[in-house]
Amino acid sequence: METEPVPAPHPRTVQRAEADAPRRAPDHVRATLASLTERPVSLYAAAVLRIGYGLLYLVFLLREFPHRHQIWGPGSPWTPELARQLFDQTGWVSILTLSDSRAYFEACYALAVVVSALFALGWRTRAVSVLFAVVVASFHGRAIFMTDGGDNLILLMAVYLVLTACGRRWSLDARRTRLRTCAGTAESMPVDRIAGGLRPHLRTSRRTLTAVLHNCGMFVIAAQVCFLYGSAGLYKVQGGSWGNGTALHYVLNLDLFRPWPGLSLMVDEHDVLISVACYLTVLLQVAFPFVLFGRLKYPVLTMLLGMHLGIAVLMGLPLFSGAMIIADAVFLPDRFYRALGRLWQRTAQGAGSGKTAEADRPLRAPVPAQSEPAG
Amino acid sequence: MFLCLATALVHVLLVFLHVAPPNPLSQQYSRQVDAWVFPLFEQNWRLFAPDPESVNRQISARTTHTTPDGTVRVSGWFDLTAVDSSAVRHNAFPSHTAQNMLRRAWSSYLENHATDDQSRSQRALMTQRYLTNIASDRVAAHRGGSFEAIQLRVVTVPITAPTPAGGPGVAPVARGAGDTRYLPWWKVEADSHGN
Repeated sequence: METEPVPAPHPRTVQRAEADAPRRAPDHVRATLASLTERPVSLYAAAVLRIGYGLLYLVFLLREFPHRHQIWGPGSPWTPELARQLFDQTGWVSILTLSDSRAYFEACYALAVVVSALFALGWRTRAVSVLFAVVVASFHGRAIFMTDGGDNLILLMAVYLVLTACGRRWSLDARRTRLRTCAGTAESMPVDRIAGGLRPHLRTSRRTLTAVLHNCGMFVIAAQVCFLYGSAGLYKVQGGSWGNGTALHYVLNLDLFRPWPGLSLMVDEHDVLISVACYLTVLLQVAFPFVLFGRLKYPVLTMLLGMHLGIAVLMGLPLFSGAMIIADAVFLPDRFYRALGRLWQRTAQGAGSGKTAEADRPLRAPVPAQSEPAG
Repeated sequence: MFLCLATALVHVLLVFLHVAPPNPLSQQYSRQVDAWVFPLFEQNWRLFAPDPESVNRQISARTTHTTPDGTVRVSGWFDLTAVDSSAVRHNAFPSHTAQNMLRRAWSSYLENHATDDQSRSQRALMTQRYLTNIASDRVAAHRGGSFEAIQLRVVTVPITAPTPAGGPGVAPVARGAGDTRYLPWWKVEADSHGN
C-alpha cells in the first residue's frame, strides 16, 4: 500500500522486473515467513477484540446480577449435580461446580467481574487473558442450556485471544511500557546485547514465539468469523422461507424476541422491505468470506453493522449483536484504528484544554511515535 | 513455529468440518473432528436456518397438593411463558432467564424425548429434571405453598403466514388455535424445590 504513490515505472524496468519475478519468488516467500515470525499483524484489531469482549462480558455479568443465582448459582434449576453429570459426559470443566457453597459462588462471580474489567483495561494482559478464558468457559459450561449464539462466540473468542498479543495497544500494559521507555530504561537493552550471553537469545526467541502465536491466533479468529457467516448463510439458502422472502416475518412474530411489539408490527407490515432484507441477509452472509480481500469489505461490514444494530433493537438481543459487531471489527486495518486514535486524542485535547492543545502538540508528538516501532 | 502454524491450520480445517453439513470427508474423520472440537470449540451457526421457528410455544404449569385429610387438590394453570414475554416486553436488554431458560429447556427436552414422554436415556432424564425444576421454582416463587407433583402443558401456536396485500385477513382466527400437549405428572423433589 505504501508503494502506491510511486510514479509509473519506465516500460523497460517493468520488463526487467517481470523477468526477475521467478527468481525473486523464494525471496517473497522468505519475506512473508519473516513477517509472520517477526511482525505481529493487526495489533489494534486484537486490542479492540480484547476491550470489546472484556466490556461485553462485564456488562452481561452485571446485567444478570439479579438473576445470577438462577443462572449460575448452586440453587439454579440446572443444579450443580446435573451440571456435574453433564460434564462427566462431555468432558467440560468449570470452576463453579467445585463447591456448592453460596459464598464460593459469590466469590467466583466477583472474580469474573474483576477479571473481565482487568481484561478490558489490558492489565498484565497475557495472564489475565488466561483467567478470562477460564472464567468465560466456566460460566458458559455451568449454564450451557441458557446460552445462545452470542455466548458461544464470546467463549470462542476468549479462548483464541489467549494466543494473541492483544495487550500491546490501548492497554495499561502499553502505557507502562511507554512510561518506562520515556524514563530511559530501554537504553540498557543494547548494552545487554553487547555483553552477549543467553538473555538476548531468550528475548529474541520469546519475541518470535509471541509473534507467531499472535499471527496464528488472528488467522484462526478471522477464519472462525468467516465460517460463522458462511455457514449461517449457506444453511439459510436451504430454507424455503428465506427463499420466498418471508423468513423475517416469522422472526418478527416470535414473542420472546419482540421487546417492542409496536415496532415489530410496523416493520412486519412492509412485506417488500421484509423480502429485500431476507435476500440481503443471506447474500451478505454467504458473500462475507469472499469480499474480505478487497475494498468491497467496507460496504459489506457497514451493512452487517446495520443488520446487527437492527437485531439488537428489534429482537432484544444486544449481547448477541455486540459479540458479532466486535467480531466484525477484526477485519478493519490498523491504519483505520490509528486514525481513530488520533481523532480521539484530538477530540480529548480539544475538549480538555481548548487553545492550549495547539501548544501541547509539538511536545507530545514524539511520544506516540516511540510507542509504535512495530506498528 | 511450524508446529504453531500447522496447529492453526488443522484447527481451522477441523472446525470447518464441524460446521459444514455432513459430507464424506467429515463422516470419515468424524472421530477426530469430535475429539478435537468437543466440548470447547462446539458451535452451531444455524441462526434462524434453514427456516426460523414458525410457532410460539406457550408453556403452563399446574400442581397437586395432598392435604392432611387425604384429599388431592389440583391448582389452576400458571402461564410460565407469559411471565417471560412480559419480562421481555419494553426491555432493551432482556435477561437470558426470560429469553433462553424455558425456551431452551423445552427444546432440549424435545430433542431427547419421543411423543410418549418416556425418558429413555440419561440425557433425557436430565432434561426432564431441568424442566421440572424450572417450573416448580417459578410456581413456588409465584404463589408459594407446597406441592408434590407438577404437570406442564405446552400449547403450540403457529404464526400465520403473511397475508398477501389486499387479501382477506385470517390472522385473528388462527391465533390461539394451536395444538396442546399435556406432559405427565412429575414428582417434585421435596428437598430442594417447592416445599
